[in-house]
Amino acid sequence: MKGTLALALVFILYPFVFSNAFYLDIGVALLLAAISASAWNIVGGYAGQVSVGHSMFFGAGAYLPLLVYHHWQLPPMVGIPLGIAVSLVLAVIVGLPTFRLSGHYFSMATIAVAELIRLVVGTWDFVGAAIGLQGPAVGRGWYDLTFRGELPYYFIFLVVLAVLLLVTWQVQRSRFGYYLRAIKAGERAARSLGVPVRRTKLFALMLSATFTSIAGSLYAIKTGFIDPESGFGILVSVQMVIIAALGGAGTLYGPLVGAIILIPLQTATNTWFGGGGTGLTYILYGGIIVIIARFEPGGLHEMWQRIAPRFRKRADAA
Amino acid sequence: MLLSADNVSKTFGSLRAVAGANLSINEGEIIGLIGPNGAGKSTFFNCLAGDTLPTTGRIVFDNTDVTRSSPEEHARLGIGRTFQVPATFEDMTVLDNVMVGAFLRHPHRAAAREHALQVLDLVGLKERQELRARSLGTPGRKRLEIARVLATGPRLMLLDEALAGLTPAELQQAIALVKKIHQTGVTLVIVEHIMEVIMTLAARVIVFNQGHVIAQGAPADVVKDDAVIEAYLGRGHRQWRKQSSGSA
Repeated sequence: MKGTLALALVFILYPFVFSNAFYLDIGVALLLAAISASAWNIVGGYAGQVSVGHSMFFGAGAYLPLLVYHHWQLPPMVGIPLGIAVSLVLAVIVGLPTFRLSGHYFSMATIAVAELIRLVVGTWDFVGAAIGLQGPAVGRGWYDLTFRGELPYYFIFLVVLAVLLLVTWQVQRSRFGYYLRAIKAGERAARSLGVPVRRTKLFALMLSATFTSIAGSLYAIKTGFIDPESGFGILVSVQMVIIAALGGAGTLYGPLVGAIILIPLQTATNTWFGGGGTGLTYILYGGIIVIIARFEPGGLHEMWQRIAPRFRKRADAA
Repeated sequence: MLLSADNVSKTFGSLRAVAGANLSINEGEIIGLIGPNGAGKSTFFNCLAGDTLPTTGRIVFDNTDVTRSSPEEHARLGIGRTFQVPATFEDMTVLDNVMVGAFLRHPHRAAAREHALQVLDLVGLKERQELRARSLGTPGRKRLEIARVLATGPRLMLLDEALAGLTPAELQQAIALVKKIHQTGVTLVIVEHIMEVIMTLAARVIVFNQGHVIAQGAPADVVKDDAVIEAYLGRGHRQWRKQSSGSA
C-alpha cells in the first residue's frame, strides 16, 4: 500500500518537477504505453493468451473519435464509446472461434485480423485511406479535448491508468482473476475444476479490448491525427507485448515498470540517432525479446522476486 | 446408483481403446480400476471424467446423461478428477491452487478462502499454504491435486494413479488420506498399479484388458481370476503353473 501511494505521488509530482515540454512529452508517452500494455496484460499476461494483434482494438479506438469529427463535426470524445463497441465486436469475432482451439491459433488469428484491418483501412476513403484522419486543430470547447499544453493530457492519462490498475487489481483478487491464472497455468486442469475456460478467455479479451480501445482514443485525441500504420501497425501490438513482458506479464505493475524503462530508452535512441536511427526501434524490440526469452521469461518482476530475499537477508544481517 | 456407464467404446482411428465397457458405481463405494499398460483403463477413465468423448455408449451420473458433457459440467455436477502427472498450477501458491477449485461452489473470495483452508487442513497442507506449488515435492503436489478437487465439493472423485511414485511411508499416509476423504461421504474410483492400494482401499475391483472389462468383484477374488493372471503374466503362465505344480 505504501509503495502504491509513493508511486502515485511520484507520478502526480512528475510534471511539476519536469515541467519542460520534452520531459512532459516523455511522461505522456510513458503513461499511454503503460495503459496499452496494462490493457494487453489482462488477456496476454493473466490469461496467457498472447495477442500479437491488439493494434486492431487500439486502431478502432483511435479512428472512431477522429472519424465522427471528420464526417459529422462531433466532439471526438463521442467516438470513444463507438471505438469500444467496434473493439468488442472484433474481440468476439476473433475470440469465439479461436478460443475453441488450443495452441497458438489465437495469436495467429490476432495478427491476421489486425493486418487485414490495416490493409482495408489503408485503401478505404471513408476512413481517410493511407493519408489518415485529422482531429480539430483548435478546440471549439473543452469537449473537443484539444489542449495547447501537454499537462491536461498527462493528468487525463494518469487517471485512466489509475482506473485501469484499480480494475486489474480487482480482477486479480476476484474469481475471474483466479480463473485467468488457472487457465494460463493449465487449461485442462482448470476445466476439470469447473472453470468455464472459453467464456473466461472471451471476457478477458473483451475487457482488454475495451481499455486498449480507450488507449487508442486517447492517443488520437492527443495527437490529433491517425493513419493506418500508427493505429493498426504491427509495431503498436509488439510494443504492448514487449512492455508487459519486460516488466512482468501477469503482474499488476509489470507493464508500468516496462513502460518506465522502455519509453525513455526509446526516446533516447530516437534523440541520439535522429533520422539516421530509422529502424532502431525494431532492433531495440528484437534485442529485448531475445534477452527476456533467454534470461528472464518472467520479466523484471520475477527477477525482483528472486533477488529481493537476498537483499532482505543482507539488510537483516547488517 | 450414482454413476452408470453402458457399453462405452472409444476408438482412435483403427485402434479400439475401449470396447463396450460397462460399469456401475453406488454412492459411497471405493472402486479400483486396474489392468496392464495399454489396457484402456485411462481412456475409460477420461470418458468418465468428460475429457474424452466416447465413440459409443452412455454415461449417466445421478440421473443426468453426461456422455457428451464437458469437463466443466462434470465438475459442476460433482465429478472431480486428478491427473496421472500432477497438473498443479505451478506458479500459484498452494492456497490459490485450492481456491480455484473452491470458487466453483463459493463465488465470493472470503468464502472460497475459508473453504480452501478447511480442505488444506484435511489434506495436511495448511502449513504450506503460502508456498508456490512448484516448490512442493511429488507427494505434496499429489496431495495438492487431491485438495483442489476436494475443494470443488465432488460426490464422485476419480483418482488417476494419485498414489504412484510415493515411498512406502508416504504411501501409508496417502492411503490414510483417501480413507479420510471416503469417510466424508465421497465416492471414489481409483486407477492404480500399486496392488497394495487396491487391496487396502477398494471394495470392488474392475479389471481391464485390451479395452474390455475382463473381471470384476472383490479384490481377493479378482487376483485369483485366471483371466486376470493371464492378462498380467501372459498365456504361457498357465502352462508354466501346470508344469511347476506337476513337477512338485
